[in-house]
Amino acid sequence: MIKLENVEKYFYKGLEKEVHALKNINLEIKKGEYAVLSGPSGCGKTTLLNAIGVLDTIDSGKIYLDGREISALNEETKTRLRLEEIGFVFQAYNLVPVLTVAENIGFIMQLRAFSQEAIKERVHELAALLQIESKLNAMPATLSGGEQQRVAVARAVASKPKIVLADEPTANLDSKNSKALMDMMQKLNEKEGVSILFASHDAYVLESAKRVIELYDGAIVAS
Amino acid sequence: MYRLLLKLSFKNAFARLSRTLLVIVMIAVSMSMMLSIEGLYDGMTNSMVDRVKRSDCGEVSMYSKNYRTSRALKDNIANAQSIAQTLEKKKGVKSVVLRLQADGLGSTARKSAFSTIIGINLVAEEKFGGFSEFLKKGSMDISKNGVLVGSELAKKLKLKVSDKLVFSTQNLQGEITGMALRVRGIIQTNNVVLDRAALYVDTKRLHKLLGLSAQSATQIALRLEDEHLIELLKKRYADLDVKSLLELYPMIQQMQELMKIFNAITFFIVMLVVFIGIMGVMYVSILERIREFGIMRSIGMSYALLRRQIFAEALFVGLSGYVIGALIGYVVLYYLKVYGLDLSAFAEGLESFGYSSILHASIELHYFSATFLAIVAASLLSVVLPLRKIKHMSIVDATKVVI
Amino acid sequence: MFALAVKNILFYKSRSITTFVLIFISTFFFIVYVALMDGAHSAILQNALKVYTGAIEIYKKGYREKGGNEYLIRDVKKIEDVLQNIKGINSYSARYESYGLLAYKDYSSGVMMVGIDPQKESRNSSLKEALSAGEYLSEQPNNCLYMGSNLAKRLHLQLHEETSFIGSASDDSFVAEIFKLCGEFTTGDYEFDSSAAFANRRYLDGVMLSENMASYIAIRVDKLSEVEMIQKEIEQKIESDKYEVVSWKTLMKSMVEAMKVDSIFGYISISLFFVVIFFVIMIFGFINVSARLHEFGVLRSIGLSRAEIRALLFWEIFILASSAVVLATPLGAYVAYYYSVHPIVIEGISQTYKEYGIVSDTINFSFNTFTIFWNVGVIYLLSFLSIVYPVHYVNKFTPLEAARHV
Repeated sequence: MIKLENVEKYFYKGLEKEVHALKNINLEIKKGEYAVLSGPSGCGKTTLLNAIGVLDTIDSGKIYLDGREISALNEETKTRLRLEEIGFVFQAYNLVPVLTVAENIGFIMQLRAFSQEAIKERVHELAALLQIESKLNAMPATLSGGEQQRVAVARAVASKPKIVLADEPTANLDSKNSKALMDMMQKLNEKEGVSILFASHDAYVLESAKRVIELYDGAIVAS
Repeated sequence: MYRLLLKLSFKNAFARLSRTLLVIVMIAVSMSMMLSIEGLYDGMTNSMVDRVKRSDCGEVSMYSKNYRTSRALKDNIANAQSIAQTLEKKKGVKSVVLRLQADGLGSTARKSAFSTIIGINLVAEEKFGGFSEFLKKGSMDISKNGVLVGSELAKKLKLKVSDKLVFSTQNLQGEITGMALRVRGIIQTNNVVLDRAALYVDTKRLHKLLGLSAQSATQIALRLEDEHLIELLKKRYADLDVKSLLELYPMIQQMQELMKIFNAITFFIVMLVVFIGIMGVMYVSILERIREFGIMRSIGMSYALLRRQIFAEALFVGLSGYVIGALIGYVVLYYLKVYGLDLSAFAEGLESFGYSSILHASIELHYFSATFLAIVAASLLSVVLPLRKIKHMSIVDATKVVI
Repeated sequence: MFALAVKNILFYKSRSITTFVLIFISTFFFIVYVALMDGAHSAILQNALKVYTGAIEIYKKGYREKGGNEYLIRDVKKIEDVLQNIKGINSYSARYESYGLLAYKDYSSGVMMVGIDPQKESRNSSLKEALSAGEYLSEQPNNCLYMGSNLAKRLHLQLHEETSFIGSASDDSFVAEIFKLCGEFTTGDYEFDSSAAFANRRYLDGVMLSENMASYIAIRVDKLSEVEMIQKEIEQKIESDKYEVVSWKTLMKSMVEAMKVDSIFGYISISLFFVVIFFVIMIFGFINVSARLHEFGVLRSIGLSRAEIRALLFWEIFILASSAVVLATPLGAYVAYYYSVHPIVIEGISQTYKEYGIVSDTINFSFNTFTIFWNVGVIYLLSFLSIVYPVHYVNKFTPLEAARHV
């Protein structure tokens, strides 16, 4: 589903402080896959995730989504791509603070102009799955870290994207919440068939993943 | 989706309540003060214009060609009556009065002063300008030897109701003549020229005294429904000196223009500062949420939608201030319009300069509409700079921002 | 706290610059505006005063209220002897005013006929300087008239032509006399130029039987600021039960009041600007303070008291206000000073506003250090007031609440 061919990425290219962040990356993520990018800090996990999610540009190579090249699209098309086909979960501050949990979950569906009934149904479905049904009318500031991340995950999958990219989703959580979050993401992967790619060095995330892609110094060393 | 957008904008606008309330209070207070001052100044000017129209020249006055420079009786309009009768029937003419005027000396036993005697028809003057509203003391009675005296002239000559005075002048034949008068009323028109010199008597009596035909007058004053008639009258009566109010009182035109300039400058400066206030708050509010915006862009919200949300936020803040300011402003203006601002403590000073001691405000729609447009513009413009910042920032950097 | 305040000011540039600029503009604008307003009012009053009204005038009691010959001063010499010895009096002129009718051919007009000592009057008022045609009155008692130009125009009278006067003398008897127009004056005071005519006192005394009499005595002083003092001295030295001594503030009461009203409206208008600017300074202050809430929380946690936080914030506004004021005040003061010495001329303004006693086309600024200081004081006060709410807001939080604030 996702294919990367000879992808290179530099920061501060041409300058003295030039960093070769991604070196000749060749990678394929299949439909429904549950994988994690691992490696030490600064190895390029987040950079690779951002490149796949067309949040950031690459300097050479190609990235394909379902056979379509997505690395050279214009900004408007990339935005639409992120809206319709790619979901994101960040490390923290994912949620819109002034919207309720239900509104946050349904946010992307609202942007995609789904009907109110469809939104309501999907929100309740995901809330039940992620065990946050009782919090639907709460504001994000009243939730714990783990609950907030579950809401972020629910939002990411609500409109049924092809792939969810999660950047260090457990970094700010304790082990109990990390485990709970990972269990729920696994459940989603099995039930919805959505591909999930993490960037993480959390041991529990690595344990729960079906495929570990190891990165070192910007290059894939094991997969 | 737009409902969500509006909800987001509204909630974000009031997320930091203290800050937003401060801006709203600023807009409301400055707007209501500005409207009140504008209304009061306009009211003062309009009141002056209205009184000049009602007490003297109407929208337009007609004189014989040399009269305004010579002030001589021989420069009268001989067929004034027939002209007036023709004009009264003309469409667009509300009312017409004829006046006969002569300069001379008003004297009491102890004092004398330059005076201008004006022969009027009370019924016609009442229709023309509600003359009885100018009565300050006494009664509107110019029968027999009755006279109504201008308030400043009465002060100068120390006249009270029922006092006697003598008016001396030259008649049409050049002979010194005079009439003994009894003060029946004191008139305050707030038209400085009249209040300082006018003696109003019955026109028939004055015609007889001055030796002029009853058909003649020195002034024909008209109240018009349509000021476009002025040009027509100038053409139709090219043999007469036809002048509009502003031509007869250039000072009023200057004052109106000065007032417009002053109001415009005040408006501009206040709106500029309001703009700075909204911009400050919105700038900070947006900077604080850069990460949030970065994430929203990451998950698929287009820049265009984000821009609309932020514009809507700024508008919510600006318009909230506008609504409150307009309400307070209207209430204050209404009070000032109906009850006025009482400056009786300065009555002597104000009246000597032609102002009433109670100042009434005007209320015009354009006060509110112009302010509405300005606040909308200020609100929208205030977020241009912060929006540029968001637009040019990479999404990745935005999501990493630590506030 | 002072050093920390300076560092904060330099760090939070946008707030500092905005606050500085707003205070600078307010200070400069306030000083210049008040200088213009006060100067214009003072000029209007002083110019009107110069024309004819004395800084102090002496009347017989009853003359101002009732008028008439029975309230004439009948021993002018006695009073003049007293005035001669009072310090601060520049000059004085006994005026005999009478009202009558002037006629020339088909034209006539009411006139205030005044008998003056030409030499004394020339020192006392600007009547001689107002000469616009012909000649001023000579010391020789003759039937020359020195007439207001508007009055001459009204009568269609040319220089050296004769006009007849009828009126009443000091004993109420009927008087008629022929005068010759020798000179015209234009003071700019429309009413005065349309109604006044002056004749040599000694000649007019013969016509009016008014030797040693006067309607009042007009006094010019060296310094207007000493008027009250001189007024009191005169009252003590003449028969105060018989005479009243009145200053220009009473004589020109209506004009003084009108200027006061104009000032009030001026202050109301300018207060609108200050209200808006005050709010903006407060808002920027509030935003800055709330953005630093976490920082204040940390400071409170490590031992700073609420009073010290308050002091810090007041130091910040004090430094900002002072730096703005220190720059704006000399600039504003210079503008006020420059235009007080080189007044602005607006051609035609006196003609347009002649009915209101505006006699001069020049607009003076007033340069007064006390006024400038209180202007600056108001700006300081507003600046300090603007920080009251932000200080209250920040001190409302406990150290922990503030430290956790996002």
